[in-house]
Amino acid sequence: MTSVPIAADTAVPNPSLLARAIGFFSGPVGLAIKLVLLAVLNALAFWAVGVLLADQKWIAALAVGGATLLIDLVYLVPDKRLIPLKFLVPGMVFLVAFVVIPIVANANIAFTNWSTGHNLSKDEAIVAIQEVSLVAPADGASYVMTPAEQRGELVLLLVNEATGKPYVGTEDGLEPLSPANVTIANGAVTAAEGYELVQGEELAGIDQQLSTLLVPTGESSFVRAEGLSLAVELQPTLVYVAANDTFRNIETGVVYRDNGKGSYESVTGTTLEPGWRTHVGFENFVTVLTDPLVRDPFVRVFVWTFAYAFLSVFIQFVIGLFLAIVLNKPDLKLKRIQRAFLVLPFAIPAFLSVLVWAGLLNDEFGVINQTLGTNIPWLFDPTWAKVSCILVNVWIGFPYWFLVCTAALQAVPEELTEAARVDCAGPLQVFRRVTLRSCSSSRPRS
Amino acid sequence: MLSTHRLRVVAGLAVTAIAAVVAVSSGSSATNATTLVIWADADRVPAVTQVANAWAAPKGVTVQIVQKNFGDIRSQLNTVAVETAPDVIVGAHDWVGELSANGSVLPLSPSAGTKKQFPAYALNSFSYGIAVKKLFGAPVALENIALVTNTALAKVPTSFADMERQALAAKKKTKAQVGIAVQQGSGGDAYHMYPFFSGLGGYIFGTNAVGNLDPSNIGVANAKFLKNAPLIDKWNKESLIRSQVAWDTGRDLFTKGKVAYYITGPWFLSDIQKSGVKYAISGFPQIVPGINSVPFLGVQGFMVTKFSAPHGVESLAKDLVANYMMQPSAQLALASANGRFPANLKAAAQVKDKDLKAFGKASEGGVPMPNIPQMASVWGDLGAAWVRSTKGAGAIPARRSFIGAQKSIAQKIG
Repeated sequence: MTSVPIAADTAVPNPSLLARAIGFFSGPVGLAIKLVLLAVLNALAFWAVGVLLADQKWIAALAVGGATLLIDLVYLVPDKRLIPLKFLVPGMVFLVAFVVIPIVANANIAFTNWSTGHNLSKDEAIVAIQEVSLVAPADGASYVMTPAEQRGELVLLLVNEATGKPYVGTEDGLEPLSPANVTIANGAVTAAEGYELVQGEELAGIDQQLSTLLVPTGESSFVRAEGLSLAVELQPTLVYVAANDTFRNIETGVVYRDNGKGSYESVTGTTLEPGWRTHVGFENFVTVLTDPLVRDPFVRVFVWTFAYAFLSVFIQFVIGLFLAIVLNKPDLKLKRIQRAFLVLPFAIPAFLSVLVWAGLLNDEFGVINQTLGTNIPWLFDPTWAKVSCILVNVWIGFPYWFLVCTAALQAVPEELTEAARVDCAGPLQVFRRVTLRSCSSSRPRS
Repeated sequence: MLSTHRLRVVAGLAVTAIAAVVAVSSGSSATNATTLVIWADADRVPAVTQVANAWAAPKGVTVQIVQKNFGDIRSQLNTVAVETAPDVIVGAHDWVGELSANGSVLPLSPSAGTKKQFPAYALNSFSYGIAVKKLFGAPVALENIALVTNTALAKVPTSFADMERQALAAKKKTKAQVGIAVQQGSGGDAYHMYPFFSGLGGYIFGTNAVGNLDPSNIGVANAKFLKNAPLIDKWNKESLIRSQVAWDTGRDLFTKGKVAYYITGPWFLSDIQKSGVKYAISGFPQIVPGINSVPFLGVQGFMVTKFSAPHGVESLAKDLVANYMMQPSAQLALASANGRFPANLKAAAQVKDKDLKAFGKASEGGVPMPNIPQMASVWGDLGAAWVRSTKGAGAIPARRSFIGAQKSIAQKIG
């Protein structure tokens, strides 16, 4: 191997293009490009570390920060021993990002119960269970609500939907308002003495305060805003006891405990929805091996996947080789046109061929059954459907092997087959001993 | 020499660090206006844009509508990052079981006056809960299949016997392979076969004392249905229906005038109108006296996601969905924009389109598709049972086929 093969044969008087490019980029231009690229990388890393720190993901933040610093050093420290790393680092970064991390993440998920009903973190699940357990109490009221401010504090001006009486709701409780001091129109408070209504574009700003403001009305019941113009009285049916991490049904006293599988479960086996994501060890793998509902289809699919791959490639190869040999006969006429026709299935996009075949194989209206006068359920019977799949795949794939084998056959010197024939070898013998052998040694590396 | 090198390293780090700090600080200093993100499918984007903007403008809120494939809305909600997550989604009522079991959507409490404007089943179908049943979505549009008659070939049937006779007569005349075009395909289609299924006495889940669907009571092969099941074998023998008819073959059979009857939904209405075939839309006649033949009802609506709380727009989202979107005017605008019947009764009374009204009429008595997660185990087996029994030659007697389906479903639900 020569050191600069690209420029070697271009006979130009001045230094080669490559050499000039290297010269150009070695100077301040290269340094500037390097600094800009590193600056972009660092900016991204700064942002990422900021986000990670805000989410309290310390290890990830440390990893991102450390890796970025190391990359900076590799490209900035002028040490000869670091030169190979300059070439390796980009590859390694992409390897980690697109190969290592997905593999680790997938393997990790395999050991969790992540599925419908187990999609939240435990903290989120506790909040969601409390939220879902809220019901309107037996005598619970609903109110037409107008958010307002009193001395800078958010309050709810409420009109009972049933009685039409006005109230003001604060963190301390519900107080009746004197009807003399408020104006009510269309069932809602439109003005109130001592209160400043929050209206129009100000509504967007109070959302968080509004949705978290609970107006206590009893031991556990409260009035809460539902949207911007309605408030309802609600009370929980389940209460979370943080001390021993359980939920208790207020009415029946039933206690739900963390069952270690991502749900709160009572002694009778009823679980609360939603559950949360958690590691369950080898449970998923045990299910695959022991539960016949999962195992049987899994084994079937697994076996068929291999059978399908083997059968379709093998049949494609056999047909491709056969056709290549047939068309390799020296005295055949119109060889090129015939070959071109055989390559056609390869030239048509596979998804088109598949659609066309689906129509051809339709057992009631399809051309194949109508031409043959048969009634074969090509796509409806599990066994026939498998046959159809292989058939179509062979159709799509054999031209590839035909091309490969034709190329290989043409590399077999004609003298060899001729010599074999002179030595009285039959056609099969010539094929096995000479053609196939020379082919396999000159097989294209793909 | 060494000191220049060191200088270069320090200078390089300093330059990049400063650039980074400047970039980050300028990025975060951008002001954050209140934005509400809505995920909607292509069909509904224009209508939702119009209605949501009308709501948002006076409140100083910006609405951002993200177009998604309908099915992707459900699946991507499970994995989306908080930053890009929607606050409000368009969805179907049968997603509610899964989404609320995942804690992805928030319960809603519309006012009593608003609730009164909706048929009970529409609210029920968007409600879910094992112990406490809560509303998780605002129903907007009803979707169901109906019977479409080619009026040049046959009359709107007065009874099922009449329909069967006319369908077979038309089949003979046009030399079609089937009498009634109803789509199944190789995977089966329990949804489109439901009028036949319910008309023969079948049901999917019974209800318990509280009125919740009971997954332990499966009615795929109940006694009443099995008694009537031999009719399916008769239909198969006379090629009244055939499992080989897929969605496209079914549509082509009708739009090319080959069949007298077509069972389909409003999504193919424009194809039918384009084809020039004269048609009439109606409900289904009773197959067996005393049992109504009804379609499945799909109810579509809006839901508030759990992400609205961390985004700081929970009350706004609830106001849009549980208050504004449930009003007659918004309902009418949303429902007519993509050719579906509105769920709100006051809005329904104002529908003028004749075909839309006919689809609405065909929905009467319909059964909302079960919204409990166990329904996922039913579709495949029930569809396959129909395919096995209506595939023409080599079909399995319906009795055996549906008993097998019932067993398989029960096993999957456990």
